[in-house]
Amino acid sequence: MFFKDIPIRRKLMRGIVLICGMVLLVTCISFFGYELYVFRKSTKEKLSTIGKIIAANSTAALAFDSHEDAKEILAALRTEPNIVSAALYDQNGKLFSWYPANRDIREFPEKPGTMQFRLSHNFLEGFQPVAQDKKQLGYLYLKSDLGGMYERFRVFGVVAAFVIILSFLLAWLLSKLLQKSISNPILALAETAKMISEQQDYSVRAVKLGQDELGSLTDAFNNMLTQIEQQNLKLHEFNQNLEMKVKERTIQLESVNKELEAFSYSISHDLRAPLRGIIGFTTILEEDYSSKLDDEARRITAVIRNNTLKMGHLIDDLLTFSRMGRQDIIKTIVHTDQMIEEIIREVVPENRMGKISWVLHPVPDVQGDINALRQVWINLISNAVKYSGNREQPKIEIGSVRERGQTVFFVKDNGVGFDEKYKDKLFRVFQRLHSADEFEGTGVGLAIVEKITSKHGGRVWAEGTLNKGAAFYFTLPDF
Amino acid sequence: MPVLKIIRSRLLHAVFISACMVLHLYAQPVVSREYQIKAVFIFNFTQFVDWPQTAFPDADAPLVIAVLGDNPFGSYLNETVAGEKINGHPVIVQYYNRTEEIQNCHILFIALSDPQKSEQVISGIKGKSILTIGDSPDFLKRGGMIKFFKRKNNIRFEINPAATKSASLTLSSKLLRVAEIFDPSKKS
Amino acid sequence: MNPNSVEVLLVEDNINDAELTIRELRKHHMANNLFHVKDGEEALDFIFGTGKFADSRDLLCKPKVVLLDIQMPKVNGIEVLQKVKSDARTRATPVVILTSSKEDPDIQKCYDLGANSYIVKPVNFESFAEAIKNLGFYWLLLNQQPT
Repeated sequence: MFFKDIPIRRKLMRGIVLICGMVLLVTCISFFGYELYVFRKSTKEKLSTIGKIIAANSTAALAFDSHEDAKEILAALRTEPNIVSAALYDQNGKLFSWYPANRDIREFPEKPGTMQFRLSHNFLEGFQPVAQDKKQLGYLYLKSDLGGMYERFRVFGVVAAFVIILSFLLAWLLSKLLQKSISNPILALAETAKMISEQQDYSVRAVKLGQDELGSLTDAFNNMLTQIEQQNLKLHEFNQNLEMKVKERTIQLESVNKELEAFSYSISHDLRAPLRGIIGFTTILEEDYSSKLDDEARRITAVIRNNTLKMGHLIDDLLTFSRMGRQDIIKTIVHTDQMIEEIIREVVPENRMGKISWVLHPVPDVQGDINALRQVWINLISNAVKYSGNREQPKIEIGSVRERGQTVFFVKDNGVGFDEKYKDKLFRVFQRLHSADEFEGTGVGLAIVEKITSKHGGRVWAEGTLNKGAAFYFTLPDF
Repeated sequence: MPVLKIIRSRLLHAVFISACMVLHLYAQPVVSREYQIKAVFIFNFTQFVDWPQTAFPDADAPLVIAVLGDNPFGSYLNETVAGEKINGHPVIVQYYNRTEEIQNCHILFIALSDPQKSEQVISGIKGKSILTIGDSPDFLKRGGMIKFFKRKNNIRFEINPAATKSASLTLSSKLLRVAEIFDPSKKS
Repeated sequence: MNPNSVEVLLVEDNINDAELTIRELRKHHMANNLFHVKDGEEALDFIFGTGKFADSRDLLCKPKVVLLDIQMPKVNGIEVLQKVKSDARTRATPVVILTSSKEDPDIQKCYDLGANSYIVKPVNFESFAEAIKNLGFYWLLLNQQPT
């Protein structure tokens, strides 16, 4: 758990307590150090003072060689429990008297050394000259332990520990109170934010609790909310506007569609009727006035008839094309194999049936509009038949492959094929790549195929080589 | 018996004198350790005794240590005090043979064989601020102020504080502590 | 012609189509008792003996078949069909819809209303002729009429 992830409350409290702790620690250490220094100094001074007193008192003892007196004087050091040992040396530096009396002489220095009191191995020891009226009579040796210091520091330690604990408690309590004033507003703000985003209610505002930075944060937050609210309103309006527009457009489209429907409906009646008339009466002419018509006349009437027929086909195809575009596809399961067989029987003229060799691979069932798909297969198969009509051995192959997760249906023929560079034009309305003299056709068939396949969510494309053959592929989405 | 007493005292005297003579004979080149120490002590006394202002005519007046009688110290006393000053007073040693030769001194070591003579001398300088030192056993009874004696091979001394007081001499308490105090009421 | 001896009632507004149809029927000697009306209103008047034919028509004498076009002015074919098929007196009369429309809804509606047959007038004359011939044979000669 990183420091930055700890809740603010705890962060503040820990921070304050830590700082207090450090301050206390530093203070205590400094005091401790100072105390140590002062204590050492005062101990040295005390020792020095005691030394001086003892020395002053023991001048006579040294002057008059009174061991007893010296012993007695040194014995007075008993009252100072920290003084471990003491000794008097005569003028010649020889040990004169020592304290405590029962101590082994060898524990005392042989002869006087440095005159300063020094710390050595946890003891304070040193020498003091014993002089009467500037006359050096001998030396005093004092050795003191640091018990006093340890005692003192023990007391100090206990007091310090007590103070530190108390201070910590106080700091903890105060910090607990203090952090509230900082963390509470923050938490309140965070809570408000959470609530707002959960309930998506942007009309709620956070309460401003003070004029400090948190106050400004709250203001900014509230401003943001206002903006969000307004933007939401705008979006909503915009959405509604859009929806209205869409509705309008849809209504327009629908009415246009209806118009088109009515249009094509009337076409299918009104355009056909005159054509019927033309052909009908031309035939009457041919039949009833055959004796009066020469060959040329008969050729002319044939031309009239053919053109009229063509027009009829064109109208049919256009109507189909238009219908395919308008109608919604009604999806059912289509048994493609069956359909193909039926279509072949329908579409192929009797006289050609025998010539064509069919290669029919099993083709999977699909889901789609039965009539529309029928139209697709009719167009593709009849094209294949038509364009391989001039071959000696026309061969048409129908099947499907599985490619990249989709079923690709194909109709291949070995007919005249087409020039690949025009293949983009294949599926456009009224675009033909062969003249009407070579092959009859309206140029709408493939456009219809393209429209139907794309309505189903698939696509159609073709490959061809001039005079070798053509292959038409289309995909339908899986179901 | 009185005769025995006389014989004893005479004998003692004789022994004493011969001892002294022997000592004297041998003292010339080497002073006995006892008297070396005593010499040092005598000098040291100067540091623990305060003479009245009147004892010194002026600030530079010498502090005189006098030896009356047979000088047992040889030149040791001279050596000990050589170059020393007490409170600015140079310390010197004077030697007297006879009482009459006593001049102004501050310390008088009475080395007379005759104790009565010693007593005479003492009473003669009564009232003067002179510290009288001797080592005869009844020195203090006879009015002396400090008496040397031996105990367990150590030189000790006994002081008569009353005597020193009447001589206007102030003895340091330190000195008194080291010394034995003479109690006149005690019968020896 | 006696309105009561009509065998074929041709309801057709397009005179060219009417001419062609009559010609073909005549070819097969089936147009002897053919009556041609030009719109739905006349058709209904004839069938129900109203209007023009108020006095002259005996409803019991029903035509053997009514060839009915859909797209007609005034009263269109659908209405006529409906009226004919919903009236008990005329319900049994066979009605053949003879029209240009290949539209599915039309076909469905006509059958729903009780049309006996639905023929699309092909543009190609040969097919048209063939269709008429078959019609005639079927409804005039083959089909048994209720009495």
